[in-house]
Amino acid sequence: MDPTDPPAPKSLLARLKARFNKPKSDTTRSRLRRVLIIEERLSKWLPYIKFLLFTVGFLWVLALPLAELGKETYIDENALSPGHIRPQFAWADVHSADRWLDQLEKLRDSNATSEKRAEFISDEFRKLGLLGATQKYTLTLVNETRSGVNAYAVSPSPRISGTEAMVISASWIGRKGEGNGDLNLRGVAILLALAKYLKGSSSWAKDLVFVVSDGYLDGMQAWLNAYHGTEQKNLKVESLPHPSGVIWNALSIDYACHSFSHLGIFHEGVNGRLPNQDLINSFERLSRWTGGVPVVMYDHLGSQLEPPVYPSWIPKFIRQNKRFESYWQHGRNTVRHIGYQARGRPSGIHGLFHRHRIDAFTMYAICAQGPHGFYAMGRVVEATLTAMNNLLERLHASFFFYLLTGPYTFLKISSYLPSPVLISVAMMIQGLTTWSQAGWVLDVSGKTAITGPAASKWITRRRDVLPVAMTMFFTHVWGLALFAIVSTSWYIKNIQQAVSLPVFVLFASLPLSILAITRKQSPGEAPVGLVLKALNVCFASPIISITSVLNFSLALSFAMLLGIPLSISAWSRRLPVRIASYSIYALLALGWVLFLPEETKTALWHWEIASAWFAPVVCVVYAPLVLQAGIATLLTR
Amino acid sequence: MTLTAFNVVVPAILATKLAFSFSKLSDVVKYDHQLSSPLTSFSQLQEGLYLFDHSIDPYAGGTFRHSPLLLALFSTVLPSSRTFAPFVWVLFDAIGAWALVNIWRARQNVASSARDGVIATLYLANPYLLLPSLALSTSTIENALILLSIMFSCQRKSSAALLALAFGSQLSPLAAFTLPPLLLLLITDPHSHLASPKPLSVSIRKTLPYLAEFFAYFAVLTFCATLVTGDWKWVSQTWGTWLTLLDTTPNPGLWWYFFTEMFDHFRPFFLMAFTVHLATYVVPLCIKFQYDPLFALFLLLGLLGTFKAYPTLSDPGLFLSMLSVFPEIFPYLRHHTVTAILHLHAALLLPLFNHLWLVQGTGNANFFYASTLVFACANGAAVMDCLYAGMRIAIGANSEADGHFVVQE
Repeated sequence: MDPTDPPAPKSLLARLKARFNKPKSDTTRSRLRRVLIIEERLSKWLPYIKFLLFTVGFLWVLALPLAELGKETYIDENALSPGHIRPQFAWADVHSADRWLDQLEKLRDSNATSEKRAEFISDEFRKLGLLGATQKYTLTLVNETRSGVNAYAVSPSPRISGTEAMVISASWIGRKGEGNGDLNLRGVAILLALAKYLKGSSSWAKDLVFVVSDGYLDGMQAWLNAYHGTEQKNLKVESLPHPSGVIWNALSIDYACHSFSHLGIFHEGVNGRLPNQDLINSFERLSRWTGGVPVVMYDHLGSQLEPPVYPSWIPKFIRQNKRFESYWQHGRNTVRHIGYQARGRPSGIHGLFHRHRIDAFTMYAICAQGPHGFYAMGRVVEATLTAMNNLLERLHASFFFYLLTGPYTFLKISSYLPSPVLISVAMMIQGLTTWSQAGWVLDVSGKTAITGPAASKWITRRRDVLPVAMTMFFTHVWGLALFAIVSTSWYIKNIQQAVSLPVFVLFASLPLSILAITRKQSPGEAPVGLVLKALNVCFASPIISITSVLNFSLALSFAMLLGIPLSISAWSRRLPVRIASYSIYALLALGWVLFLPEETKTALWHWEIASAWFAPVVCVVYAPLVLQAGIATLLTR
Repeated sequence: MTLTAFNVVVPAILATKLAFSFSKLSDVVKYDHQLSSPLTSFSQLQEGLYLFDHSIDPYAGGTFRHSPLLLALFSTVLPSSRTFAPFVWVLFDAIGAWALVNIWRARQNVASSARDGVIATLYLANPYLLLPSLALSTSTIENALILLSIMFSCQRKSSAALLALAFGSQLSPLAAFTLPPLLLLLITDPHSHLASPKPLSVSIRKTLPYLAEFFAYFAVLTFCATLVTGDWKWVSQTWGTWLTLLDTTPNPGLWWYFFTEMFDHFRPFFLMAFTVHLATYVVPLCIKFQYDPLFALFLLLGLLGTFKAYPTLSDPGLFLSMLSVFPEIFPYLRHHTVTAILHLHAALLLPLFNHLWLVQGTGNANFFYASTLVFACANGAAVMDCLYAGMRIAIGANSEADGHFVVQE
């Protein structure tokens, strides 16, 4: 401390007095000293803080499946009251489902056209006394045209004049193999049986809408567009003759095999939207306790039925740990979830409802020798519909942010969000550090033997933001061009052939033209490469943290892919190293063009049919950000 | 080069803007809460005009809150149809940019300069000003009027300046808060004196005739407005809304959430507190920056943009674009990068949380309110930094390098 400070007086009063009556200049001086010390310590510790944030962020990702982080699910909305529900679906209704199944199988065996099928189903609806109709649609994709016919029926509510509605749907093609799988015949049969049975009850306060959509996703998209009057350029739809109310909730039945042992939850929607968790929780409760059918996530059976296959590199003592089994199971669910959500891909036809603010999920019957069939399915659907019917208002807004790690365990937003946000904070620190490195340089030229290190001083450099911002802007425009090319029919048709390589080379090499137009820098200017790196990282960081609220999995994937690579981009003195590092960045940015043709095709298909913006986001946001980091490694320091 | 920048770039931006006004984008952003408040929204103006043309009192329903002067202008001289209105908005944008360039010229005391084109571009291409203008928010007109009044007072055209401000205050009464620095500007000069603070050399009494002139204009315009509608009901529906917050439609400001959450019996007190809070900045700023009233005015616009009752993005936008007139403070800004990053966060969060709450339904009002807080932090950081830099200049350049430190007491 300052030697001129007076010695500390003894009595408390005197000390207090001295504390408040200090000469003014001294307080200022000591405050300044304090600030300088804090600044110095902070700048010394900053790299460690950054490292710590990165480490904690990445470890958090690994910790997501931990049981300790999760919470047991519960029902938040009292109105759902699943405990009061006693389903009445009986064996007589199972019989009618069986008869419909026979007829549907005959239709299948006779290779009936879409029209014939839809006509049959809507006729059956009408015979039941419902308002049945068919709807034709044509979907024009860049290299194919799909058309089909949906059948649907409205069962008007006996209590309220059709202001609200619930949808029970079954697509003609089941979701097994993401739409390439078996026909969902039993799903359609039980839907018809339910239509007959549910119509008889007088307790419905909402219209029941039964939809048998053609195809996998296309039919339901057409039906929903017509119902809500949404225009979609490539989808021509017939309008629906029987309108109903606002749809609050929907469930879709996917039941392709003879019998099932478990019901699986599929809940991810287009662009990573999720239905209200209360809906899934009440389904899980009702299925487990009222219907007697155990519930699992997706088609992942528990470890008793499906012995987990652990990779061999995991040590034996860990593999044999009982808790590792649950970690593995939850981890599997989480990875599957991230796969759907990050790519904005719906995990079933329910995913198309979310866009219209409808909470929906798919009940997936997992094929098995038994013990459950139409009886259990009918009871579970009836019970879930009754819970939805009990709702007096829409499900509450606070229950949309969750990560289901198991059928009855989930992570709250506060337990999963920190992982990408910590990584993005670390990136922000990196960006600001680089920014100040670009602006200040320690001048040691004046250092001599006499004056010592004191002669070194910080001098400022001019940071030219405009050319760097223009470079960044043009890489994003370049990404837009990439998307325009990739989404042409020419590209999609020739994707497996020799088109990918030229496109990759073109898009990876043209940003290099920036190098040709950079001029020689004067010593008073900050290196362009450093400024580009700083702005690049500072821009990527908010993108990650803000996306995390919209689509957690996408933000997490961005954090994993961008976090470290963008932060470590550095110029090397040796040309081969620079070229090699740019090639690595180019591969990270555009490697999918070469190595993931099927993935690209599927992403584009989802963009076309359901406006899932994963494909444009990768082209316009992700790839340019990585390319910028690559360019930053090349620009001279 | 500079001439081309001014003569080519500026018309190009205006033409692009006009083209965008007719595109779908304009219809998409027209109802956006961040771009137009109930007091500036174009669709509400059209509704009021419709009622007015059909001899129904637009102020009776409690939905129309624009000034009667706008009613009078848009039902006679100015076109209000969707096809022709964009021309009016582009015109007001051009007027605003022209005024800003002239303010810059007056401050530098030159007839034209190399930076003119840059300044006009910074006004026209500022997204916070561009988007409200595309949404046909009347805040574009208010901004243009404020800039006009500043420009005229820089040029010592007192009557024109006071008339423009009186008109601006009719549209948005908070603009009247800028009267004290404007009066000081009229009796001093617009040049930069930030580096050499000195007490006001002319008597403050010289402002009195100008003050009287302003009130005369204001009274005449008020009388005209009353003539247009035929009674005084418009006062409570337009100016009254600013003070009593009759409409709590969400906007990027700080008031609406606070007053939707509040119990009714606390309302009058907090309305008073919030309004007085705004007024408290005027006199201290004028006293502190009596040697440079234009700078005081600039800071005041920043504070109003942060704290006023019905802000849209265009209010902070005006402040940020005006920053280009004061390049002398740039070297002394302490945390411009942090402010820029805060603004980046706010600009991404505001539309996202608005969407999550009102379109997607997965979030609630708290989300959007949180993003308005980020926005307020960004605006506050910008104002604070400019305030610091404006005072810091007087101490002199680069004393840090010699081992000296400038400390705020």
